[in-house]
Amino acid sequence: MKPAPFDYGGAEDLAAAKAALAGEGVKPAAGTQSLGPMMNLRLVRPGALVDIADLPALREVRETATSVLIGAAITHAEIEDGEAIDPTPGWMRAAAGNIAHRAVRNRGTIGGSLAHADPAADWAIVTTGLGATIHIDGPAGARTLPVEDFLTGPFTTALAPGELIVAVEIPRPGENARFGYNKYTRQVGEFAKASAVVLDDPANNRRRAALGALGGAPRLIEDVDALIEGTLSPEEAVAATVPDLKVPTLHVTALTRALALMDQR
Amino acid sequence: MKLALSLNGDAVSEAAEPRTNLADFVRETCHKTGTHVGCEQGVCGACTVFVDGRPVRSCITLAAACEGAAVHTIEGFEDDALMAQLRQSFSAHHALQCGYCTPGMLVTAYDIVRRLPDADTATIRRELSGNLCRCTGYAGIVAAIEAVLAESPPPAAVQPLPRQRRAKPSLAATGTAKADTAVPAAQLEEMEPLTGGTRLTRSLAVEAPLAKVWAVLTDLDAIADCIPGAKLGTPPEGSAGKGEPFAGAYKVALGPVTATFRGAGLFCADAADHTGKVVGRGRDPLSGTRLSGELAFAAAADGDTTRLDLDMTYLVKGPLAQFSRPALVEALADSILADTADALAARARGESAPAPQRAASGLSFLRIIFARLFGRKA
Repeated sequence: MKPAPFDYGGAEDLAAAKAALAGEGVKPAAGTQSLGPMMNLRLVRPGALVDIADLPALREVRETATSVLIGAAITHAEIEDGEAIDPTPGWMRAAAGNIAHRAVRNRGTIGGSLAHADPAADWAIVTTGLGATIHIDGPAGARTLPVEDFLTGPFTTALAPGELIVAVEIPRPGENARFGYNKYTRQVGEFAKASAVVLDDPANNRRRAALGALGGAPRLIEDVDALIEGTLSPEEAVAATVPDLKVPTLHVTALTRALALMDQR
Repeated sequence: MKLALSLNGDAVSEAAEPRTNLADFVRETCHKTGTHVGCEQGVCGACTVFVDGRPVRSCITLAAACEGAAVHTIEGFEDDALMAQLRQSFSAHHALQCGYCTPGMLVTAYDIVRRLPDADTATIRRELSGNLCRCTGYAGIVAAIEAVLAESPPPAAVQPLPRQRRAKPSLAATGTAKADTAVPAAQLEEMEPLTGGTRLTRSLAVEAPLAKVWAVLTDLDAIADCIPGAKLGTPPEGSAGKGEPFAGAYKVALGPVTATFRGAGLFCADAADHTGKVVGRGRDPLSGTRLSGELAFAAAADGDTTRLDLDMTYLVKGPLAQFSRPALVEALADSILADTADALAARARGESAPAPQRAASGLSFLRIIFARLFGRKA
């Protein structure tokens, strides 16, 4: 199918993009790798798209002492290829290289993926595991949110009308940090049926674990110390994290594998 | 709007609508029909072309986003030694059968050879996994690429270009749109049996006597008011089954997805044993998604309170079903069931219905089921 008609245009800079996004039914568009299929199926019928794919403000990669800010319009392929700085010892590159297929990764962006908030998407769960901060700008000014507060439900985020993601800030893991990410897909490149992530970063006193590809946003595992120390089994952790869902065996498998991958590092 | 880009090395300047995707632009406007369109959802890879030297899905890439770009379709490799070797190898290894997927396979193969010169068989297979061949000719395709990699292939003439800013038209200059068009009036479709659906159940104790709960369950207009976005229509003439016919529409938004389902249903209730059933069938005319739902309810007195059992089955067919994943849909449906149960309980207690809590306002297209279930023209 073909998309319903819409208007389309670019923006000179972030300020112009913000002004354009204030219009009724106007959506930002970067790689259109998630939006494109939905528009082709006419599930999404925007009045207009503002192309933000090459806005300089969204294409920056900026280092701070403790983190790296990856511009929202940086593509998966740029992270995969190391063109954008990976603040981790290759964890983000590895995750990026497993998103969909290369032809998709060449256009799809990290900010677009997070704004789309597909529960089964890679960046949703990986940035949750890494403790990312989302940098947002919009009519009411700039603000930041921890990714777990940003992702609020399936395809649903804390973005207010007219707001857009500017950058994704990833904290640098310290010495001896370990990380494991596993997703279960039936075929390479498919959306995950289950996913899990574990981070143990002793230098920063940071431990995180989360489950993804649930009905909604990724869920942080509360008793992460016990999980990493091995006194809480993956089965127990999954059951405690998603008590309201039937405990999905695949999520137990994904968490078990994520823990095993973490131990290999 | 006017679109200018380089196609296979030639400057092209042609008119394109903002909604025109790159695949249709190269095929229908520029008559380069080697690029094939399969799924139009970015899944099959038949439409893969190079944009600025990188393989992309042209069916989910807007042509307008390629203003000023260098596009190479399968027709654009006539003097390219690497593509010549790939073609020869595809031929030698019987790597094309019907040929429909071949243009996309060759573009992807070219990218693999260029980017991953040390690729082993497993890597080739993984990289090719985004290109589907309905003849299942993968063994030949993989062998063809392996053979080229083993023969120290010639350098690729098409290389990734530096990413750069390109002037895009201002929003006001493109104007053709307007979004949602009117949807046709409801029609009472045949009430086929609902098979293969997902079933969810929920039981709750309502702090109100049975008579009050039953009054709510049979005052469907009041319940429809509890569900944001629902609209009752004029019931269709004639009904295809027993029960009371109703018509309705439901506009919902799930993240970026919007759908307006229109449809009809039947309601029946048995006051003798306080049970009832509602069946509904709806369709979003613009996406063609069809939604069917059935809700059986049973109320029973339990002292001063009432036990209410809800048993819901739903089935989604068409684009939305293709797009969604069962776990996601089920979690949504369950939260909607919970919200609805809360609303029912509040009404029965004489309170105004609470706003949906678990499923944020307008969260799910599945709420249409409840519009069906409880929407009726008295």
